[in-house]
Amino acid sequence: MLALDNVGKTYPNGVRALDGVTISVSPGEIVAIVGGSGCGKSTMLRVVSGLDQPSQGRVVLDGERIMSPHEKIGIVFQEPRLLPWLSVADNVGFGLADCPNDERRERVGRQVDRVGLADKARVWPRELSGGQAQRVALARALVTRPEVLLLDEPFSALDAFTRVDLQDHLLDLWADGKPTLLVVTHDVDESIVLADRVLVMRPRPGRIYEEIVTDLPRPRDRQSAAFDFAKRRVLAALDRSLDRSAVTDDGETRASTGAAMWW
Amino acid sequence: MWRDRRSNKHQLHPLSTQVVFPEQVMSLSLMTATAEQAATERGQGRNTLARFARPALGLILPLGLAAIWELAVRAGFSTGRLVPPPSVIFATFAELARTGELERHATATLARVGAGFGLGVVAGTVLGALTGYSGLVHRLVDPTLQALRAIPSIAWVPLFILWLGIFEASKITLIAVGVFFPVYLGVMGAVVSVDRKIVEVGRVFRLSGFAMVRRILLPAVMPAYVIALRSGLGLGWMFVVAAEFMGASEGLGFLLVDGQQLGKPAQIVAAIVAFAVLGKLTDWIIVAVATPFLRWEDAFARR
Repeated sequence: MLALDNVGKTYPNGVRALDGVTISVSPGEIVAIVGGSGCGKSTMLRVVSGLDQPSQGRVVLDGERIMSPHEKIGIVFQEPRLLPWLSVADNVGFGLADCPNDERRERVGRQVDRVGLADKARVWPRELSGGQAQRVALARALVTRPEVLLLDEPFSALDAFTRVDLQDHLLDLWADGKPTLLVVTHDVDESIVLADRVLVMRPRPGRIYEEIVTDLPRPRDRQSAAFDFAKRRVLAALDRSLDRSAVTDDGETRASTGAAMWW
Repeated sequence: MWRDRRSNKHQLHPLSTQVVFPEQVMSLSLMTATAEQAATERGQGRNTLARFARPALGLILPLGLAAIWELAVRAGFSTGRLVPPPSVIFATFAELARTGELERHATATLARVGAGFGLGVVAGTVLGALTGYSGLVHRLVDPTLQALRAIPSIAWVPLFILWLGIFEASKITLIAVGVFFPVYLGVMGAVVSVDRKIVEVGRVFRLSGFAMVRRILLPAVMPAYVIALRSGLGLGWMFVVAAEFMGASEGLGFLLVDGQQLGKPAQIVAAIVAFAVLGKLTDWIIVAVATPFLRWEDAFARR
């Protein structure tokens, strides 16, 4: 059980990136977080991962307060962030340094196979395509069997075909160990395909604005009417969250500088 | 892969020679076909030839000039007293090698460069890594080191001689100072500019300080470090000459001074050639040792 309790984050320059975020996510649940640029969704993910500390409130996983990166929490970034001096297999096994060699080799081999890159295990990351590299990043995060996997716009840098492909692939991988998934995205389709619950965030300061339960059977048909309906609900919520009338020009500028800090 | 590209270029050569002959004027496609056929026939021989012929192109200019000078002296256009012809230089070199002189001097110089380079690299690496890693150390130490760097290192010579005497200690110190700064700057710059995103990967996997250095920072700075070592070594060879000029009874630098004072230009050139060979050789050793660690690099020009 992952819980955020009144979490807020104010950057040293005074930008309030996150304010009073309270959510709880049950084990195995897939939650998507959508919102306009600069609404604090990536900040929230970084706070949950323990890479950043909240300025107020707390993040709790299974009764344990998260203050720094935790072994039960994995993260996949927007970029693959592979270590260029390690082969694909060694990148996947990066988090298993404490494992005995045999076990590590076995688990890495299985995970590399699982993401369909068995033939690439010995090559350098520079030889991979963008989609392949992101698969390796997924494998690296999953091989440690985290309870919670955070994904920060994981497929946004990929072309449309690869993206759809990897979304299905992610769900397939998720089914293996059913970790909790927290996916930040600005792709509404992606949020509906993946999530049980979509949280729409609102900027300045970043907070949860609306919660939409998708309630669609899996596997989800991207062409179905129910899919379209869910999508329209999220889009409508997004529209409301970005209610332009409430925003002054000044506020717009401030938020965008805040966003630039970590993007 | 690049080798294939090279051989392709070579396959074009027969084509261009054929165009010259008017009786061979024919349709372009036929011409190309002939050329390709000829190239495949000679393909194997040409590949090996191309591999050695390319680097050999660079030798044409120096060897040509040497040959011209040799002929000029032989023909009596010059006495070759101040600018000895290659044959005389070679003879001097062979003589120095035969008597064991060359070995003695080269060993002395190599020992000085080795000791100075070792000290400079260790100090430069440690301080560069510390100042790169810790902001506090950087603020404490870097301004002083940058100020010291601004001093031409040769300016230290009198002080080093007063402090350390005229023998090995002052020479090795001077070389170490020369090697220190490029290594320090290179390491510090490389550590500071390690991608934050990669460091975050280390943090996500909860690497401790030492593991972070070993598994993330060290490999990440490796390419820049090799360059820092090479430029440090270059300066080491530069400063060993300065050190040996200031009073030495052996060493290649001594051969230079000795050759000047006794009017033996061939000996000077022989010593210079020895410097060139040793400098290139030691640089090559660094590259050869480092190459296996840098195979992952995704660089503009991969060798």
